[in-house]
Amino acid sequence: MSTATVPAGRLLVVDDELHVRESLSRWFIEDGYEVDAAPGAREALARLGQRRYEVVITDIRMPGIDGLELQRRIHEVDPNVAIVLITAYASVSSAVQALKEGAYDYVTKPFDPEELSRIIAKACATVRLKEENVRLKEQLEASLPEIVMGTSPAMRKLWSLVDAVAPTDATVLIRGESGTGKELVTRVVHAKSQRRFGPLIAVNCGALPEGVLESELFGHEKGSFTGATGRRKGKLELADGGTLFLDEVGEVSPKVQVELLRALEDKRITRVGGTEEVPIDFRVICATNSDLEEAVRNGTFREDLYYRINVFTLEIPPLRERREDILPIAEHFVAKFAAAMGRRVTGFTPAARDLLLSHPWPGNVRELANAVERALVVCRTGEVGPEHLPIGGGRPVAPGGAECATDLPLREVERRHIEAVLAAHDHNISHTAKVLGVDRVTLYNKIRRYGIAHRK
Amino acid sequence: MDGGSWQLELMGVGVLPPMFLERTATQLARRLGQQVEIYPGRPDPAAAFDVARQQYLVTALLAMVEEPTPRAAVKRIAVTGVDLYLPVFTHVVGFAELGGRVGIVSTFRLRGETAGGRSGQEVLIDRVEKEVLHEMGHTLGLVHCRQGWCVMRPSGSPEELDSRDAAFCATCAERIHVTAFATSDVLSWRSEGR
Repeated sequence: MSTATVPAGRLLVVDDELHVRESLSRWFIEDGYEVDAAPGAREALARLGQRRYEVVITDIRMPGIDGLELQRRIHEVDPNVAIVLITAYASVSSAVQALKEGAYDYVTKPFDPEELSRIIAKACATVRLKEENVRLKEQLEASLPEIVMGTSPAMRKLWSLVDAVAPTDATVLIRGESGTGKELVTRVVHAKSQRRFGPLIAVNCGALPEGVLESELFGHEKGSFTGATGRRKGKLELADGGTLFLDEVGEVSPKVQVELLRALEDKRITRVGGTEEVPIDFRVICATNSDLEEAVRNGTFREDLYYRINVFTLEIPPLRERREDILPIAEHFVAKFAAAMGRRVTGFTPAARDLLLSHPWPGNVRELANAVERALVVCRTGEVGPEHLPIGGGRPVAPGGAECATDLPLREVERRHIEAVLAAHDHNISHTAKVLGVDRVTLYNKIRRYGIAHRK
Repeated sequence: MDGGSWQLELMGVGVLPPMFLERTATQLARRLGQQVEIYPGRPDPAAAFDVARQQYLVTALLAMVEEPTPRAAVKRIAVTGVDLYLPVFTHVVGFAELGGRVGIVSTFRLRGETAGGRSGQEVLIDRVEKEVLHEMGHTLGLVHCRQGWCVMRPSGSPEELDSRDAAFCATCAERIHVTAFATSDVLSWRSEGR
């Protein structure tokens, strides 16, 4: 009879009275909605577990769980669902309470059919706007690391690998030097995975002593050690339904490695000081900048754990191996920090560009970000020059490596550096002192002590 | 309009002004380009009356309209002067089973006033004609339409109904396999323009 059409929305009608469910269902089916009905809150929650509805129209007074409690339970799981409460007992207090707790609207039986149609149509449109907003934010968040980390052929290859592995549940090992953005890649993998609505829990394994890391990962029961005043969930439990990110996994002690391996294989944990096994559903992403293979060879990292976490490897190349990324990333940070600091800085001078391209960036993207941020502290308008950048002593450095004065005493290095910064700032004492991180009096003293020729 | 595989039949329920049903059928027949039958029986709506609400339960009336069951190709739309309701709603002007065989339209809230040199009854027949087409659309499987002038767009008041055309938009027409709607120059022009 009719060709398939896109439904105006999905509605769930919840009322203990059959004629109410039937009337509303029939009316909204004519309005073009997909309508399901439930005789009570329990049945409604079961249906909500099976499919998504934009709007739930529910009676307030029902036996068992009432409409207000149903609203609370629905919003705990999905705060975007619009709830329209209906009741035969009009009361200002219940209406106010319902709206305070997040109800979309509140109507009193009997209602004007066209008016109710308008309310439901607006509720559906609002929910769709919210969902679209969430989707756009997710897309934006997922694309931001790509801008920050680069789009060179090497990075494009990395992003295509991320796209391939993200939707699977495979364990991922991210390798790369310090500052290359391993945590950002983890965020992208999580954002593009089916677990994106679940939590992303990060643990820096290198930052915690063995006992603390064990409790941090697995949680503990009350009284399991001095100071354990209550039961506490570990990071693995908190990652249930989502992704667990283990940074610096190569630093995990042998004892915790055994427990971690068991948790990864069984997807069950036992809290420190406890006996009960807790099932957990999580995906693992590990990151390291250490040589895990060497650690396996010399026995400090378990071979079985190594194979367990090394299912799919993402290697982030250092910045010096993809120089075409340096300027776009630097421009991105100029725009970001200029906006944050209120500077009218538009980019880099050609000399500054040369300097950026010639620096080896041992600290990778993190170092580049810091360098640009510091440059914008001293550069207020126009373009960032080499003198603003805290690299290469304010002078261009030969490609492939920074100038390295390994044969000079410290006082000579300091003297030369002060001379260079003074020259770069046209002997402006205030600017030079700011860049050097000292006050003007200290700078004058050093100029006098080193006998630096100073143009006033 | 070439309905082809179906035929519209009107049925009166309760008391209606003299010749009202006949005049509505004639206007609809002209619009549809095919004969519109009038069912000879006229059921009494009293059994569907709710004393507390002083209204008639529309689902109970629909059950009456469906007796005897219309032939497979017939869409039977009843016209009544009584005020209709569905539980929880203050009122309904028309109602039909989506994809079913029967529907009903009430003149109670469509009462026409004299306008533009036309009598109150002429205005009322125009409105009933649109409501009948609307309910007939539901029996043919159409849901409400967002197209401003389409007869399948719901109306909140008689004045809103007056702003609709007694015609389906191109999308709705296509869905119910209506190939043409040639009784109005305005509509032909709109059809070509889409």
